[in-house]
Parts: sequence; structure tokens; C-alpha cells
Amino acid sequence: MAEIRAEEETSTISKTFLIKPKLKSKPRTLPQTPESKYWSSFKSTRIPNLVSSISSISFSPSPPHPFAAAYSASVSLFSPLSLSDGDVSPSSTISSFSDVVSSLSFRSDGLLLAASDLSGLIQVFDVKTRTPLRRLRSHTRPVRFVKYPVLDKLHLLSGGDDAVVKFWDVAGENVVLDLMGHKDYVRCADCSPVSSDLFVTGSYDHTVKVWDVRVENSRSVLEVNHGKPVEDVIYLPSGGLIATAGGSSVKIWDLIGGGKMVHSMESHNKTVTSICVGRTRKENCGHKSMEDRILSVGLDGYMKVFDYGNMKITHSMRFPAPLMSVSFSPDCKTRVIGTSNGIIFAGRRKGKENVESGGRGNVLGFENISEPERRVLRPTNFRYFHRGQSEKPVEGDFLVMRNKKIKLAEHDKLLKKFRHKEALVSVLNKNNRENVVAVMEELVTRKKLLKCVSNLDTDELGLLLMFLSKNATMPRYSSLLMGLTKKVIETRAEDIQSSDALKGQIRNLKRSIEEELRIQHSLQEIQGIISPLLRIIAGRR
Amino acid sequence: MMMRGGRSLVSSPPAFSNDAKKLLVCTSNTVSVFSTATGLQITSLEGHTALVTSVVVVPPSSPAAKVLCYCWTASLDGTIRYWDFSVPELMKTIDIRVPIFNMVIPSFLDIPAEDKGKHRDLFAYVFTEDTKETQEKTKALRRQIRKCNLSKSRLVGRLILGETKKPEVLTVSPSGKFFGIRNKCKLRIWKVPDQGSEHAAVRKITLHHTKKITVIAFHPTQRVIAAGDVTGRILTWRGFGNIAFAGNNGVEKQKLINIQEDKPGVRDNDDADSCTTWHWHSAEVNVLSFSSDGAYLYSGGKEGVLVVWQLDTGKKKFLPRIGSPLLYFIDSPDPTLSAISCADNQIHLLKMPSMGILKTISGIKTPCCCPEMCKGLGNGIAFDQTAGLVALRTENYCIQFYSLFDDRGISEVQVCERNHQPGDDVTVIVTAVALSVDGSLMSTSEVKLAEEGIGGLVCLKFWQAGSQNKEFSLSTIVYEPHRDAGISAVTFHPSGNMVVSSSFGGDFKIWRCNNDIIQSDQMHQNFSWTCHAVGSYKKRPMTAAAFSADGSVLAVAAETLITLWNPYKNVLLAVLGDTLTPIVNLSFLGKSDNLAAASCGSNPQLSVWSMSKLSLSWSYKLRIEAVASAVDSSSFAALALLPESSSETTFKGRDGVILLYNATNPVPTAIWSVKKAMGGALGFLQVNPSSVEEVDGKTPEVLLAYMNGDHEYVVFDPYCKDAHEVSISQKEGLSALELKGQGGQYGYASIYGELPEFSEKRPETPWVPSFPSERPWETIFSGSSHNLPPLTNLCSAFLESLLEKRTAAVE
Repeated sequence: MAEIRAEEETSTISKTFLIKPKLKSKPRTLPQTPESKYWSSFKSTRIPNLVSSISSISFSPSPPHPFAAAYSASVSLFSPLSLSDGDVSPSSTISSFSDVVSSLSFRSDGLLLAASDLSGLIQVFDVKTRTPLRRLRSHTRPVRFVKYPVLDKLHLLSGGDDAVVKFWDVAGENVVLDLMGHKDYVRCADCSPVSSDLFVTGSYDHTVKVWDVRVENSRSVLEVNHGKPVEDVIYLPSGGLIATAGGSSVKIWDLIGGGKMVHSMESHNKTVTSICVGRTRKENCGHKSMEDRILSVGLDGYMKVFDYGNMKITHSMRFPAPLMSVSFSPDCKTRVIGTSNGIIFAGRRKGKENVESGGRGNVLGFENISEPERRVLRPTNFRYFHRGQSEKPVEGDFLVMRNKKIKLAEHDKLLKKFRHKEALVSVLNKNNRENVVAVMEELVTRKKLLKCVSNLDTDELGLLLMFLSKNATMPRYSSLLMGLTKKVIETRAEDIQSSDALKGQIRNLKRSIEEELRIQHSLQEIQGIISPLLRIIAGRR
Repeated sequence: MMMRGGRSLVSSPPAFSNDAKKLLVCTSNTVSVFSTATGLQITSLEGHTALVTSVVVVPPSSPAAKVLCYCWTASLDGTIRYWDFSVPELMKTIDIRVPIFNMVIPSFLDIPAEDKGKHRDLFAYVFTEDTKETQEKTKALRRQIRKCNLSKSRLVGRLILGETKKPEVLTVSPSGKFFGIRNKCKLRIWKVPDQGSEHAAVRKITLHHTKKITVIAFHPTQRVIAAGDVTGRILTWRGFGNIAFAGNNGVEKQKLINIQEDKPGVRDNDDADSCTTWHWHSAEVNVLSFSSDGAYLYSGGKEGVLVVWQLDTGKKKFLPRIGSPLLYFIDSPDPTLSAISCADNQIHLLKMPSMGILKTISGIKTPCCCPEMCKGLGNGIAFDQTAGLVALRTENYCIQFYSLFDDRGISEVQVCERNHQPGDDVTVIVTAVALSVDGSLMSTSEVKLAEEGIGGLVCLKFWQAGSQNKEFSLSTIVYEPHRDAGISAVTFHPSGNMVVSSSFGGDFKIWRCNNDIIQSDQMHQNFSWTCHAVGSYKKRPMTAAAFSADGSVLAVAAETLITLWNPYKNVLLAVLGDTLTPIVNLSFLGKSDNLAAASCGSNPQLSVWSMSKLSLSWSYKLRIEAVASAVDSSSFAALALLPESSSETTFKGRDGVILLYNATNPVPTAIWSVKKAMGGALGFLQVNPSSVEEVDGKTPEVLLAYMNGDHEYVVFDPYCKDAHEVSISQKEGLSALELKGQGGQYGYASIYGELPEFSEKRPETPWVPSFPSERPWETIFSGSSHNLPPLTNLCSAFLESLLEKRTAAVE
């Protein structure tokens, strides 16, 4: 070990102070939390020009997790890898539908895709060849959802406006079970991540029913009442909780506890159309772990992220259209939102981070792709003695800190050398008005500002006048800049008259000041109207 | 009678002890001994009755004597004293009955070690004032340089070396052969006579210059003298006094003159070989000093920059931006340590070749001068009652926290992010400072002066103390809190979460603190202050503000009126009376329902108002400089300036009195007269019972601190009739620590350790004890070979043993 001789601590009396702009008042809102940073790190790409409302989006469970979007009478498949390159055209499109496609579901191995349309037909496609392998026809009314059970490759679940939930044998194209019980359109369903026999359906009759295919008389096992027509229902990854969306609320129910409502989230303003499970990275005392969240989208154009562990909204995002569907990729890198006007907002995160499959997690059978752990260098290793300057300190190493070097901007350097005019000109060239004002204030404290102004040559004067005409009426700076403008015009009147360019700047200045006067005038008028009202209110209190 | 402090550390040059572990600093009537390792005071030498003007440490006569700690001090009280400052103990007092402005003792080096038995007398050259002969002589030349025989404790009669109008600084050369003074544009140099006899003729020469000389320095080995002048030039004469001091041979002297060699730069046929000029300093040079090896010259002046000149080449190195004019530069016997004294009452200990600051001995900062327009804004002094600290604004835009009990600076808070350059125009002024009752929050206001009407700015800043004591960090800045109007007063609510700032612009604002605790890595409290309420009364300028002790009432002075408000609801409760002139100071009197108001101007007044009756209780026509009220009792103290007429006759130069009142009684319970009351401050301090020794079996309840215009202060018990000394138990642990911390060795010793004392007279003892027995050949070769003495020793012993010994029987 190298011996480090302790330096005696010495200090200097004077410090270097940078010329800093005045502090701005901070917004009263809290700064961005790590979580909202995470959610805004999904770099959003618009996929425009899909004809109509995006009714359903589904991710393939197999990497690289392409997703399918249903719109109008067609289904498009997109590759998330090409999205990050900015390519928004679909990798393939299936258009062998006779009516509007209502729902999509990938099989757990990602090879087959089931799609339902409003004509009542359910088709199963081979994803690669896009050929319909099976056509399941039994529903008499439009089908609203189709769903592959999580680990079951042979069956399908569907439901529609005929209020019947059907359990299909895909290979034989026949219905195994007809589940009656809903009294209105069945709109949504989800299959339990822990059992291939359990599933839950939601209907416009405000109820959510839990079914078990092993129950003989085809009655629902459990029923909860959401209180509003149910738009979407999902199982949470534990399998014990479900979340239902209906009206403007998202409710969480405890199925094991007998269908008790755990929480109701009421932060959307309009109907919540779709929910899904997302995952976020959580750092707990240095230990990284993933936590599940509920993503909900609504007709109000908001996507909300709900932490159902703490029952708190952790992030909220606005989109410029009513939102119809949301989906989150199992590798936690893509988040796709479909709108009602044919635009998909596909957000993709950068980074190599290989997170285990989201949503359903390992249930889907995707093993954790873990990086090989880097071996710690030990003194027994030859490379240990070849560590360079870039070697990171190990815990327990004594760090000798070097004083941080202060970075000086050009105007700082010039001011340190007392070259005041050059400093002013250099900061005027930099196009950062806060710094310009800060330098001007520093010059005022050195009593050198007016001297600088009188020393400027014509070009530099033009620069200053341009700055003044742009910023003299800004309320933040006007107390300094208005006075300065007056002085500049007074002292440099002759130079201005002799140059046309400068005259133009003065005209601009005049215009902006006239504009400001107009604003002040109208504000005063408004104040004149309001102040009697305020007085009346104050008198009443 | 009480605890004093806040004295100037820079009234005269300090001196290092011989081992460079202690620094002796003249602090008014005492000499304080500081440890250079920790920068804390160890002891003080007390005994002089007037300002101590010089301290001279006796240099060691031999390396072993390094640990001896003896020094001579001279004072304006006319005595020279001899101390052992390690104990500390007064050894000897010489009373010469004339004030001594300066003293040098050049002949230490001539004294050989006390070996020859003939002890020579020790002479000092002192700068005194001639007090007796004023009638006969012209008053102009009253200051004399005289010689003093320290061994015989008397002045050498009638020997007056020189006379000047003003007291000048005597400078002695490191070799002890010359000493000199500056006298306007001239340098006078005397040669110290070789023999220690009393009346030996002292020869002198004069060197001329065209500008007024400010400081001189002698080269340690060569005949080189450097002088700085008021314009910032540094002149170096080489080979001065070659003719005059050459020796006794008159013929040689003639010869030398005849040679008439070329003397570049030397004026008026002065006695020097050459004179060179360096000019870097823009203002006068205050500091000149040669390094101990004579290769470098240190200079400094009003700019606050220490310049190191390489003597041969004239190359410069700088220690810039010290921030205050330099006064003295002292080299220590340790070549890696030296000290500079600055005008802002700080002594910096420098690590030498790199010139980094190791430690700062921080005295109380001197009051900063304000431009006229900001006068009367209060004196910028706030007391922290619980911790016994005072916060005062300094010239370099800082707030210094000074411990009144420990008499040392605790910390400094940079209020404005600016470097102060002495001599610059003052454009930014810290106008007010306020501390919360528990001392954890601070509020400051500053004014940036406008340049021809543009760019002025008023700032209000709120600070919070960190976990470290008195390390304040900025929590909120408010720009232009009252538009462009200046702030007249800032006061904390007793609970600490509310501040009121009043302005001359006619309104006051109540600021409230929202503290959100951010849980990042540790609990970190973040205070942010927002305006809670704005109030004004008839658009009158608000000149002072105060909260009542329970915080339920806020009193704001609207010029001559006092308005009372509910600070929580911002409701005007009452308006009190009328004074003749604007009120500048408001203070609620402890827990009593009384309010003291001080107004200044042509009709100054101290008035006490009763809150229960909402009327004036009593008033005096007094010019009040400061008012302080104790927290728990109803008494308060006021510092009143005396009118000029009375101060001369009755009070002997004392220009102020401290009056201690009981709120209900207009007759003061105690009066003390004080000096330099202008710009003074008063504050009650709570007593921490553990730190104060009991006096007569009881501890004082509360202490009153008075700080005068020069920031010297006293702390005393106002209720004690005979004003006992408040003895704060010295922190024994602190000084014990000093001694432990001084393990430092330097130079050769730091690398290789102490050399054994070398002495020629070392008895040549044999290496190995050889014991001549009766039959040594039996034992002489026994033992293992590496234990055997060298052959030469053995041989003689062996041969000796073979010889037959004559026994005593021969007799």
C-alpha cells in the first residue's frame, strides 16, 4: 500500500466568486421524484395516421416483444427496436377482417395471436405468416374481448355484447363452456397469473365476476360491484388482487379476502378506458428492486401511474387526445398508449438494463437474464497491480479529495482581469439574458457600467441596443434595464443618429416600449374594474 | 472588575517564542500568548497598566536554551518588564517613568554565554516621550530615542540619540549591529557600539529619499537596508555605512572617499554603494521584511497582497487577496512558519514556502465604515443570548461570530458573495443582522448602492445554522423586499419561525418559515421563508420593530408613533402616542407589559410606554445609542451618549453612560460611565451555570455585555453591587490540549530526529565497561566474540594486566 503523507491543511482567505444571476423563486411544487423521472424517461414516439381509434394493444410475451395494435378493421405489428430508430411504419399488417377489430391477445409463447372483431368472429393467426389458422364463430353479437389464459396454450376466453363468456378449445374450434351470468355487455376479462383455471370478467352491468372452469354449474365464484359500467379489469401480479376500471375511478379488490374493496382511485376526470400493470425501478437504500404500478389511461387524455402499495399516484402525464388503450412491455422498456384519433404514443426507454419480464413476471416462463457478475480484483490477481487512474475506489479506501476546480466563464475571466467592456461584450454575444443582467449588476457595483457603455463601438452598441429592445420591458429586469436604456440613449445619442442600423434598433426599442405601455394601460383598466369588486367583498367579510 | 475582551491584536508587532510554538501578541494592557499549533490562547502576561507597545523575546544563547521562555515588554506606563512566559511569571520590573513607544534590544547576540563570569550589561534602545522638559523645549521634538541599561535598571543618563516629532518605529537589524528609524523622507541608522559600556559613542548615518518613508528593514547578513515609501516604492540600499561605520582608522576613511566610486541611485552623496528601486505596490508599503537567509524580501501594504521578491533577480511571488491591509510580517525561528498581522485584527500563520494559511488567530473585527446615507441604520451588532456570542458585520461582507466568553472568533458567514478589496469604494453594505433567540436562525439585509441611479438593490437573506455550530447556510433570498426602499429593522419572533422587516418605504412585512424536512440521505431541514403579511400605517416610514416576549404583539414604529399589531392575524391593535422625533429603537421589556422606545434627532428621547394603560409611563431626554432588555426580568439597560459639554468636565473623557432601569421605576438602579460609547452596543447574556464560577456562593443570574465603538467589550453582572469580576472558568482542557498538540519538529530534526548535543569536552569513556580485576587475563577473553571489546582496548588491558601491580604496600 502506498503511504500517503498527510498534507497540513492550509486555507486561503479569499475565494473566487462567480458572477451568478439572481436566484429564481422555486416553484412550490415538489421537485421531480426519481419515479416520475423514470416515467418521463420513456422517450415518446408518435405513430400517426392509423385510421381510427386504437381499440386494443397487446405485447408479445417473447423477446424482443413486438406489439400489435388493433384499429379499424386491421391489426398492425410493430417492432419496438425499430421504434427507437425512429421508424414508425408497422413491420406487418393483418387486414383479413370484415369488421372493426375489438381485441387482441398473444399466446404465451408469442407465436399465435387471437383477434376478435365486431362481427362476432374470433380468428387465431400465426404471427409470422399472418395466416388465419382458426376461425372461431359462436358469438351472435360483437365480440368485445378475447384472451389467452396465461400458461394455457390450448384455450381461449372471449365475451361480447351477447353477455355470454365463452371458453374455447382452439384446436377443435369448439366452445368448451358457456358462462352465463352477466346481464349486460361483457367488455373485458383477465386471466389469473397463478392459475390457468381462474379468470375474471367485467361487464356493463357494473359487476365483475370471477370464474373457475372447474366449477360445474358454470356459475361465477365471486362477484363484486364496481358501481359503474366496467371498462377494463386486470389481475395484479400477485393473483390475489384485481383492479377494475369503470367510470372515472379505478378500484382495487381483494379476491382472497372475499371481494373486499381495498382502494378506489378517483383521480381521472373522465372515463378510464384501459389499465395495465407497469413496473418501475425502486431504489431502497442502494438496493435496486422493481415495483409494480397500475397504469391507467382515460378519455381525459391523462395517463396516471398508481402505486397500489402506498395507494398513491406517483406520476401523471398528459396526452393531447382521449386515450383508449395502454400496454406495457414485459421487458419494461416500452410503454404504448393508443388514442381515439388514430395516434399511438409509443414510449421507449433507453438502456441495456435487462429487467425480467414485467406484468406477469416469471409466471410467463421467462427466465431472468442476469448479467454475469464482475469478479472483484484481489491482490492474488495479476491485473490487481495494473489498476490505473480510472480505478473506482473500494468501500473502505481512504479518499484524498482534490479541491473542485471552479469553472470560469469567459466573462468571469475578463471581469477578474478588470476588462469590463470586453466582459460585457462577451456576455452580450452569449445570448443568455440572465448572465447579461448579472454582469451588468456586477459592473454597477464596480461603478463601471456607464463607463463601459460610453466605450462601446458601433457594433457593440448595436448588440447592447438589441439586447435592451428585447429585454428592457421584462418585469424581472426592467428596474435595471429601463434606467440603463435611458442612460444609453442619452450618452450615445450622436452615435445612434449617425448609424442607420442603430436607428433601426431604437425603433424596435420604441415599439416594444409602446407595447409595454399598452399592456400596462389595459392592466390598469382591469384593475379599475376589479378593485371596487374586491372592496365590496372585503366589506362583506 | 469584570471580563474584558475584544482587544486589538495588531496594535504592535507580535513575536514568536524561540521554539516557534508560541506567539506573543500585545493586547492592550496585557501580552497574550497563543499556540501556533492550534491558534488558541494559552496564557497572558498581566501587569502593565497601559498599552503594551513592544515585546521582545530573549533569543537562545545555545541550542539547549531554546526551551527558555523569557521576554521583555515595554509599555506606555513607563515600565519595562521581564517575564518568564511559560509559567507565566513576572521576573523584573524597570521603571523609567516615561512612556515607551517602542523598544529594541539589539545586543542579545553580543552576549556570549554566561561562561566567562563577567556578565555584560544588556542595553535596550527605547523611544520615549520627554515629559519633563516641555516648557523649555519646542514642543515639536518631544519624542526621543534613549538608551536603557536593562541590567542596572536605569536609563543611560543624558544620552539622547535622536529626537522626532512623532513616535517612530525602531527597527533593529537581525545581526544586532544596527538599528534605525524612518523620519519623513530620511532614514537614520545607528551602529550599536561593540562594547557594552554605557557611554560608548554611537555613530549614525542618514540616507535620503524624496518621498515619505513608511517602513524599513535590515538584511540579516549583509549591509543592505530596504525601505518602503508612501507611493509604494521599495528602495534597497546596498553597502550602507561603508564609510561611516568602517572602523576607527581615519586614513582609510579618507581613502574611501577619495576613490569616489560610482554610486548608482544613491542620493545626496549618501553613505551607500548603490540604491535600487522596485515598484509594484500601488499604495503605501506597510510591511518589509527580509527572509532569514536573506534571499527574499517580503513586502505588503494597503492592497492586502503579500509580495515575495527574490532579492537577486527581482522576481515576484504573491499571496493575493488577503482582504485587509497588512501591518506586520514576522518570521519565526521555524523556517516553515511566519505570521502576518492584518488591519482587520487577524493574525494569519503562514506555512512558509507555499504561503498557505495554516491557522488564523482571529480577533474581533474592527467596525466597518459606512457611507453617510447608511448611518443610523443600527450598528449591525446582534447578541446570541444563550451561547454568549456576538454577531457583527465586517468590512468584507461577512458576519463574524465572536465568543464573548472565550474571547475569540468562532466563525464567519459570507453574506455577499464578493471579495473585499481594501481601498475600493464601498458599494455593497450589510445593513442589518438579526439572530433568533436560540441562535439557530439569522437574517441579514444588504444594500447595493446604485450607480447614477441605476442598479441599486436591497436584499433580505435568511440563514439557518447547520449541524456544526454557527456554520450558517443560506435558506432564502428576497430581492427588493420592500420594492426599492431600504430596510430599517429586522427582528425575530421569540418562537423563531417569524421575522418582521420594516422599511423606510412605509410598510413592514411579516415573513414566515415553512420548514419541509427532506429525507434524502439524512434528516435535512430546509427552511423557506415566505411573506405572510404586509402592513402599513398612513404610508409613514416604519423605522423600528419589536416582538413582545410571548410573541403575541408586534410593535412597529411609524416614525413618531408606535403601532401595535397582532402578528398572526395582521390586525392593528392600537396606536401609541407621539414622540418628538422619529423612533429608531423599540424594545419590549422582558416579561413586563412595558415598551421602551428610543428616538434620535434634535430632540432625542428615551420613553417607556405601558402596554396595559396604552400610555406613556415616563421618559427622559437622552441620546440613546442602544437598548437591551433581559428576557426574564423587567429591567433593561440603555446606553446613553453624554452631551459634549458635560463629558469633558465631569466624566474625564468618558462620553457615555450605561443606565440600568427597572421598567416601572424611572430612577436608574445602576449607572456606569464608559468610553467610546458612539457606535456601541448592549446585550444581556444568559448565564450557563456550568461555565461561570460562583461568586460568594451564588451565580449571577444574567450578564450584561457592553461593546464600545471600537468593538472592545466588557461582560459583567449588572446586579452585583460591587461588580465582582465574573470569572468564567478557563477551559483547562483547552490549554492542556495546546501543549499536547505541539509535537512538531522542523527542518533537520523533523526528518532525522534530534542530534545528540555535541560537546568537545566529552569525557572519553571507554565503550565497554572494563573492570580490571586482580587477574584480568582470566576473564578478559571470556564471553562471545561479538561482546568482546575492540582489540586495541583489549591489548592495553591485557598488557596492563600482565604487568605486576604495585600495591599500596610500597608506601
